[in-house]
Amino acid sequence: MECVTILKATGKKARNIHELRTLIALISDESLFHHTYQYFLKGHILEYTNDFAHWVAESLEERALSERLSNVDPFAFKDIPSLRQGLLEEIDDFMEQFPEPRDALPGDEFYFNETVTIIFPVGIQAKNLAEFLLAIRYVDPACVYYHFYEARIRHGNDDFSAWIEEVLGNPELARSIRAIDPFMHNIEGIRMHIVDAVENNVRHAMEVITP
Amino acid sequence: MISQYSGISPKGDLILLKRLGDKMAGKSFLHINSTKAGGGVAEILHRMMPILEELGIQARWEVIEGDEQFFDITKKIHNALQGNREIITKKMWQHHFDINKKNLEAIRLDDVDAVLIHDPQPAPLITFKKSGKWIWRCHIDVSNPMKEVCDHLFQYCGKYDAAIFSVARFTKSMGIDEYIIPPSIDPMSDKNRELTKEEINETAEKLNLPQDRPIILQVSRFDKFKDPTGVIEAYRMVKRYNDCVLVLAGSPATDDPEGAAVLALVKEFARSDPDIHILLLPPFSDKDINALQRMSTIVLQKSLKEGFGLTVAEAMWKGKPVIGGAVGGIPLQIIHGVTGFLVHSIEGAAFRIRQFLNNPEMAKRMGEKGKDHIRQYFLITRQIRDYLSIWYALESGEKGTSGLRI
Repeated sequence: MECVTILKATGKKARNIHELRTLIALISDESLFHHTYQYFLKGHILEYTNDFAHWVAESLEERALSERLSNVDPFAFKDIPSLRQGLLEEIDDFMEQFPEPRDALPGDEFYFNETVTIIFPVGIQAKNLAEFLLAIRYVDPACVYYHFYEARIRHGNDDFSAWIEEVLGNPELARSIRAIDPFMHNIEGIRMHIVDAVENNVRHAMEVITP
Repeated sequence: MISQYSGISPKGDLILLKRLGDKMAGKSFLHINSTKAGGGVAEILHRMMPILEELGIQARWEVIEGDEQFFDITKKIHNALQGNREIITKKMWQHHFDINKKNLEAIRLDDVDAVLIHDPQPAPLITFKKSGKWIWRCHIDVSNPMKEVCDHLFQYCGKYDAAIFSVARFTKSMGIDEYIIPPSIDPMSDKNRELTKEEINETAEKLNLPQDRPIILQVSRFDKFKDPTGVIEAYRMVKRYNDCVLVLAGSPATDDPEGAAVLALVKEFARSDPDIHILLLPPFSDKDINALQRMSTIVLQKSLKEGFGLTVAEAMWKGKPVIGGAVGGIPLQIIHGVTGFLVHSIEGAAFRIRQFLNNPEMAKRMGEKGKDHIRQYFLITRQIRDYLSIWYALESGEKGTSGLRI
């Protein structure tokens, strides 16, 4: 499966941290979902892990808050309201220490968006590890996103490791894939690490002498 | 036609296009704008129509006609929407409406399943809606418009089923769903297709350009907001450290009375430096522009104000390292430090040019990443995919925020 998203404007924008805080508290779940979970679908800068952290650093130059927001793991929250609360707590804590934030330059405000997400099958099937390895090298980045990131919202983990453990019965490889930190790589990096994990697992299996 | 894009466009885009085509097969999709030639809208519509047809959709493109007064009025509306002070009288608004009404003699609006109206000129046609989903496609920045003009025009726009803008910051709330779909380039067009070495050399010889030193290029109209004199200043700062050639290439814009004055100023500013080449290319010089971009070492788009700035995507598609002003749609194309550099000053532009010239490996790496970024997000197949997706979402009545399955 693969997913594509089309942006939809909410008409709401923030010029500074106060307005960002107010709008994070009010904005729809869909908008919050887009600016956090779907950040990984973009060709993003590795320094940040969501749109809020990105904007706070690049447009407001509030590096300390950006670091704190980047450290918020959306997958660690049970639902969007809890994630919202987590983000607000980081901002509130920062604002207590630095109550007079600056404004972004005109045109550089934070624009809150939502998305229309379209999910569709890409017609690629893997029946074994060899087919999986071939497919993972060449599928679109959006396909890697759907199965590695989006899957965590559906069942708490990525689809690849779940399939490798449940269908192929290879818990060791599943563990290696689960150990890939979703925040530390862009999609191409994730793809490369999955390929490495599969190849290492196959190499290791070939080297082991079974009695 | 669509098979031409296999191996070029992302496979997922082509699969989704096919699936959307299957859903919409036999339905009619009408586009209406105000010019058949010239400008990015017409350029992309020319390429889009045959692809839609091939997907099984009955695609139709109509152009509204008007007198000189009509186009004077719509130019004023265009300028006012972008924040300039203009006077548009009741009589002028009436003429705008009357001309749209008159166009109904030639344009059939019955039995259409979807209508995409491009820009303000044909916006009043919504008054005569008979069937289908109507979408207003706004290609300009209306975020800081002249209020009276905006309020009047939005009386029409607010009646559409949805609107589409190119960039989130270009939007203005109208009380209807507003989507963000960036424009795109066509990798198969003369401006972007692969060229042979002979074709590139032919252009270099024709334009008398040396190829023995790095070429820094900016392709744009001679407009003060493209900062051509700032580009020359940056080149002069670089020239103290690195030998290079500067090429400023643009076409005369018939609708821009300031163009000639800016060109004269740029020529004077260049002070007969033999390494500065100022090229006034005739309209439809797509292949030459393609060749210029391909023979360049670095491509600049040092705009101070910009619409979307698709020349950036064109250069990135050719794998060139790019430096752009952080305005309009340029930051969507250039991820700073990843697919190129965004700059805010002449000094910044000079510094980044020197960085690229002295680090060819870095320039190559960013160029490659830039090309992949354009492949993923800025090709025509993605734009058609998005148009059809919105049409499908509007027809199905689903918001699609939790995932619309096709």
